[in-house]
Amino acid sequence: MGLHLGADPTRCSGCRYCELWCSYKHEGVFSPYFSRIKVVKDDLEKIDFPLTCQDCEDAPCAKVCPTGAIQRDESTGVLKVIEDLCIGCGNCVSACPYGYLSLNPRSLKPLLCDLCSGVPECVKRCPTNALFLTKERLPTEYEMKDRFGKDHAIAMLFGGKYKRVKVV
Amino acid sequence: MGKLYGYAGKILRINLTRMEWRYEELDKKLVKGYVGGRGFNARRLYDEAPPGIDPLSPDNKLMISTGPIAGTGFPLGTRVNVSAKSPLTGILGDSNAGGHFGSEMKYAGIDQIILEGKSEKPIYIYITNRSVEFRDATHFWGETISEAHRGILGEIGDHRTQIALVGPASENGVLFGGVFFNAVRPAARTGMGTVMASKHVKAIAVRGDGYVEVARPSDFERLVEEIEEKVYSHEQYWPRRIMGTTRILLAGNKIGMLPAFHFTRGEVDFAFQVSGEILALKNNLKVRGCFSCVVPCSRVFAYTKSNDAYSISEGLEYEALAGMTVRIGNKELYKGLEAVELLNDLGMDAISTSEVISWAMELYNRGMIGEAETGGLRLNWGDMDSVIELIKQIAYRKGFGEILSEGVAKAAEKLGKGRDLAFHVKGLEMIQADPRALKGYGLGFAVASRGADHLRSEPFIELSDNPEIGRKMFGEPEATLRLGTKGKGLLVSYYENICALVDSLEVCKNLAENMDILGYGDISRLLESVTGMEFSPDDVKAIGERIVNLERAYIVKEGIRRKDDTLPKRFLKEPMSVGASKGHIIELEKMLDEYYTVRGWDLKTGIPRESTLKKLGLDEVIEDLKKKNIEISF
Repeated sequence: MGLHLGADPTRCSGCRYCELWCSYKHEGVFSPYFSRIKVVKDDLEKIDFPLTCQDCEDAPCAKVCPTGAIQRDESTGVLKVIEDLCIGCGNCVSACPYGYLSLNPRSLKPLLCDLCSGVPECVKRCPTNALFLTKERLPTEYEMKDRFGKDHAIAMLFGGKYKRVKVV
Repeated sequence: MGKLYGYAGKILRINLTRMEWRYEELDKKLVKGYVGGRGFNARRLYDEAPPGIDPLSPDNKLMISTGPIAGTGFPLGTRVNVSAKSPLTGILGDSNAGGHFGSEMKYAGIDQIILEGKSEKPIYIYITNRSVEFRDATHFWGETISEAHRGILGEIGDHRTQIALVGPASENGVLFGGVFFNAVRPAARTGMGTVMASKHVKAIAVRGDGYVEVARPSDFERLVEEIEEKVYSHEQYWPRRIMGTTRILLAGNKIGMLPAFHFTRGEVDFAFQVSGEILALKNNLKVRGCFSCVVPCSRVFAYTKSNDAYSISEGLEYEALAGMTVRIGNKELYKGLEAVELLNDLGMDAISTSEVISWAMELYNRGMIGEAETGGLRLNWGDMDSVIELIKQIAYRKGFGEILSEGVAKAAEKLGKGRDLAFHVKGLEMIQADPRALKGYGLGFAVASRGADHLRSEPFIELSDNPEIGRKMFGEPEATLRLGTKGKGLLVSYYENICALVDSLEVCKNLAENMDILGYGDISRLLESVTGMEFSPDDVKAIGERIVNLERAYIVKEGIRRKDDTLPKRFLKEPMSVGASKGHIIELEKMLDEYYTVRGWDLKTGIPRESTLKKLGLDEVIEDLKKKNIEISF
């Protein structure tokens, strides 16, 4: 398994600056809905969780693709979309265990992180250094719920490394 | 109009009486003259809300506007202005907030939302790129901010929806209810939430899937890189990230500007106990920011409540912190935090609430009112159990709270006591700074178009106390000395123009003003690269001045004259008792003369002169004022 983007939710401020510059770099416009990184937010639980492709080994998105448009780049281990093959059915979106994938609202092709060929724009732009390259895979949402039950939200806040909130 | 860059190009007008909505095209003249946000709102309010209408009637219009920068990758550029005629002051109502709402409006393809009329039953409005839905909100009516936020988000089922919301205080008719964005970022001054609730609108939810394009990408990128670099190397960067504005409490104590014990003392010995420094040191968990912010200043912190439960809370700026600690004589930080959390959840303005409570406390402690008036509440300084009870009473307009819920000016009239102790200008309660210690701020409070508020001028540079800056900027060294009086007219009008422009761009004042990073030259470059239209530095300069004058014309129509540009008696007559500003009063009249002269307003009446309005291209305003028989001098 190769490198992919990791995130530290304790550092992320939820400003979505990464989303803006990702969409700008790839699509030439500013919009979170055209971004390949997504910040999951909850204003009441104070959660800001940047989510990108974890390059799953079993790659459920690639498995369900009827035309084989999602393939792994053998040299880097990164998943990529062959746009000519993609028919925009959205099966991959439902299959993603992180709820990460979404379709470009205009072209209907999946927005899949390509790591900007090794120099990710989001990492460069992040004001709080919450993003980095890593080999570690995040637990999926189901795994989090299994492990932490109703404290799921607080566990998210601390990036899955659950610790009891210490109040002085 | 050809292809628009930056702007979405559409205005959404919603008539609640008829349950109709339509798009209007954005007028290019409006763009060139007023940029966006506060400017758009002021213009429309001037044109569409005639003087004398009842602020809480269907005739009033509530507007939410954002600017051309919102939704682009420009740092700190996504704020919104909420405006209407204010029920609290009866003049211009206008409040600004951050969050993610402004950008979402742009992605949904709108620059401004106008609400008119009144819905029959409680509703919330769900806006997307393609439609506007009126949804039943009967089951959310009465719910607190956090409950309703959770409920509406759950009903829509999309965490990317951005919500503007009012709380139970607004619904009950408390005159200083706020509109809350993202549950924790209120536009709370001047009672905009009360206007929204009077129209039976519980919330406005927006979800778009569009995008914003800029006209000259390479210029824009270069500018952003320059700004980013200036921000990251700025001396205020880390303090702001760690403490936000709460650091002002301790710093303010040093210069004796705190509103302690209802402005009787500028300095207290327990400031450190309730300071932002202590809060940051002990309780901070992480930072959060508004959309596209590179100086995230909103902090998430955990603390223990009085019932031993812990709470994770967010935000807390200086105004709320000082309001619920030093202003009411409270020495316990956590109890103050609890009170702030409560009044926010009920949907009230923290500044106005702190004034009405501290005013009542001063009357009680002077023996001017007793338990007969307060309904049995003992309002000793720092008695937080009474304060918590009183906050609830205000929000639900019960008991003694009913009188206080109309703001301090009306409360003093109703009670027939403490008129001189009611600290407000034009009906808007004063913020947490003593004008005797900050004279430029004092002048700003007196002349601000919405009442006693610092965010109309914010002459932050005054705190530097450096005469060299004053000499360089205004040719008057005293202008940047906080206890000086000369040159303050220049200082305040200069910063009022910048504030009006920045509020219309909807860029954060932290960037453009307090950190002093975005000058007129940069703003002109920014507007040109984003919109592709021509905005020279001189054009841009005139925009701020035009907005200030238009707002002045609006409040002149509502009857505001020079006599209303004043401050409460204590600041004009009683010298400060303790601290670094001991012995000072504020010499307002002298500064006012200078200010009117700089502004080009009539010295006797405070009405903008014809030549001033003409210079700014406000010919129709001259006609309008003349038609209304308002004496306007040349």
